[in-house]
Amino acid sequence: MDKSLWLLMLACALGTFLLRALPLIWMRRHLDRLSISNNSGAMPIWLTVLAPTMIAAMFGVSLVPAHPGLSSWLATLSGGLCTILVWRRTRSLGWPVCGGVAVYGVVVVLLRILA
Amino acid sequence: MSSVETAKNSAWQQGTRDALPLLGGYIPVAISFGLIAVQSGFSAQETVLISTLIYAGASQFLFIAMVASGVPLWLVLVMTLLINARHLVYGPNIAPYLSNSRWWPLLMHGLTDQIFALAHTRLPQLAEKDRMGWYISAALIAWLSWILGTAVGAIAGAEITSRWPLLGEVMPFALPALFLVLLAPRFTSVQWTLTMLATIVAALVLKLMGMTNSAIPLAALCGVSLFYLMQAKLKAEGKAHG
Repeated sequence: MDKSLWLLMLACALGTFLLRALPLIWMRRHLDRLSISNNSGAMPIWLTVLAPTMIAAMFGVSLVPAHPGLSSWLATLSGGLCTILVWRRTRSLGWPVCGGVAVYGVVVVLLRILA
Repeated sequence: MSSVETAKNSAWQQGTRDALPLLGGYIPVAISFGLIAVQSGFSAQETVLISTLIYAGASQFLFIAMVASGVPLWLVLVMTLLINARHLVYGPNIAPYLSNSRWWPLLMHGLTDQIFALAHTRLPQLAEKDRMGWYISAALIAWLSWILGTAVGAIAGAEITSRWPLLGEVMPFALPALFLVLLAPRFTSVQWTLTMLATIVAALVLKLMGMTNSAIPLAALCGVSLFYLMQAKLKAEGKAHG
């Protein structure tokens, strides 16, 4: 990486850290001022809606396979369904991802053998 | 060992136990990140440093892709921060459970989507004195697994792809699977379900149209707009009936 890329990376890292740390500092001061322990009324609604929609948008973008085609879409659908099923059973974060990736891989291999 | 020490250890152990399932999601995604970054022209050291310092999955992939495709640097910075803007809501949501220790803001480097989800559930259940130990333990496990996974992907990436070429094709699915798991608990009402589905479809269509860089913020704005439209409709109906 040249100097400008290093600076860019450091700026991204610092910016990301500040996005995580500054709202906490702000909210702690806000709570101190109000002397309350429940922040549900203090959070702007748009902020609580924007967080999950950003993750939903990232999910939508990441769904598109690197090489879109019938087999990759079928594998994506199967992997997604498996992820949901495992999540419903375990309510954990790691196992559904492992299961989804495994099924995605199996479908890719099976379709390759059948083709 | 005194009872105080036992309690402290137990909080740290609890944090480790809670964070272990994250490894299944973190390591495959981190390996695929390391692999993609090296394939995009970054060195192994640079790739590991990106994971250590930026430490935000989706935006790291975007960072690599945008730099590799020659996008202006200011746009890379804006897009990275825009994607990570969702983190703005995490700190305030867990603030009521945190002490006034000056270390907490520094520890927010480890506040990823998954750690937030864990912390939001676990912190209220823990005694105040145990919360920092639990958080450091869980966040450290997640951070180190991300760095280690990246290093494995970056260093052994070429060998992994040559020996098991299918892995490079299959492993990136860990990313949508991870987002799906994070989203699943959100499908709690018709309003949220429609908002989520509209956002996902919008992002997918925009990506397929080639609008890779703007798909995420535009789709998120679509979702927020739809949420507010439904909110207004529900209020109007409530007034009409009430």
